[in-house]
Amino acid sequence: MAGSSMKAIKLRIKSVESTMQITKAMQLVATSKLRRAKERMENSKPFATVSRETLTEAVSQCDPQFTPFMEKREVKNRCYVVIAGERGLAGGYNANVFKAVAAHAGDTPYCVLPMGKKTIDKFQHLHVKLLDESLFHVEGLGVSTCFRLANQLIEGYRKGDYDELVLVYTTFQSMMSQEVRIEQLLPIEKPENETECGVVTIYEPSPAEMLETVMPDYLGGRLYSAACDSFASEISARRNAMDSATKNAGEMISDLRLKFNRARQGAITQEITEIVAGAEH
Amino acid sequence: MATYHLQIVTPDRMVYDGEAEKIILRTVNGDVCILPHHIDYAVPLAIGEAKVTDGQGNTRLAACNNGMLSVHGNEVRVVAVTFEWADDIDLERARRAEESAKEMLDKLQREDVDFNVAEARLKRALTRIQVKG
Repeated sequence: MAGSSMKAIKLRIKSVESTMQITKAMQLVATSKLRRAKERMENSKPFATVSRETLTEAVSQCDPQFTPFMEKREVKNRCYVVIAGERGLAGGYNANVFKAVAAHAGDTPYCVLPMGKKTIDKFQHLHVKLLDESLFHVEGLGVSTCFRLANQLIEGYRKGDYDELVLVYTTFQSMMSQEVRIEQLLPIEKPENETECGVVTIYEPSPAEMLETVMPDYLGGRLYSAACDSFASEISARRNAMDSATKNAGEMISDLRLKFNRARQGAITQEITEIVAGAEH
Repeated sequence: MATYHLQIVTPDRMVYDGEAEKIILRTVNGDVCILPHHIDYAVPLAIGEAKVTDGQGNTRLAACNNGMLSVHGNEVRVVAVTFEWADDIDLERARRAEESAKEMLDKLQREDVDFNVAEARLKRALTRIQVKG
């Protein structure tokens, strides 16, 4: 009996060890990718912030009736741009994004522009209308692809396919924490605290026309930076998940070793007792 | 000479962040030149040549494509879709892009959706070649 349990424990140790090797390798891969991903994220940030600031200023001086981008329509259909991962094993990274979409959507019908293979799979499974099914990789997403998507999204918005455009992505805050963000892209909200700065900016040809021209560029840049942000989050989430998995595996192994040694010791003791008992008689 | 703070950003990086004396850009309404103490101003950009004179008086050429220009106080920001200094332009690639854009245009009619796309591509290629040459 003791022999068979010892063998079982030995097998367990072996299997946990090989799992640990995999998680450790994945952790190393994530760590090495992280630096580049973070760099890309940092580089993509200025465009998004600067263009956002400029656009918000233009919006505050713009009459909503002149541009479809500010006009609030009754929301009959929403469009979500959902950015999640290509693969799993990244803790709650993918699940958190999908949960946020479900919570935000409520009962309003919606369609999705998915980025990342997991996102495509998930919404296909839910039978949600997908606008594009070709974006498997978030990692290598190019700037030009983002601009193409932005134009496509704006066209759909103009045609009235959807009345609100919402971006759902994960933002990288630190190595340890990533947060899901929901951001309404269209229509643009007029900022509430209007800054009275005395100097009025001159817009050529006009704030509304400026908005029309610049909107696709802004949106493209926004999508790109959100994708970079999400990818950095995914990588660090995976690194953390794999880090704790490796640690857990290590703990499990030392636990099993202890059990194994106890079983071995038990078997020896038993044998000795048996021999001693036999000699006495 | 007086200078102002100029930032040039594209989606993938910050191209320039520093002092400048002067910038000339192609906007949707034609070329504009921004000097220090310009009034607050914002305008969408077109495809064309950009000329930047930095704080030391050195002038550099670049190919700039779409986006916008905003002047706020003494802060000037160029938010461009692409912005390439003359040194960074790949002439071979620009020539190839010109050829393929011309081929596309030959096949298309003015009413086609892709006509504008091809035209913009040709414009970008020609601007790059001009800036480099």
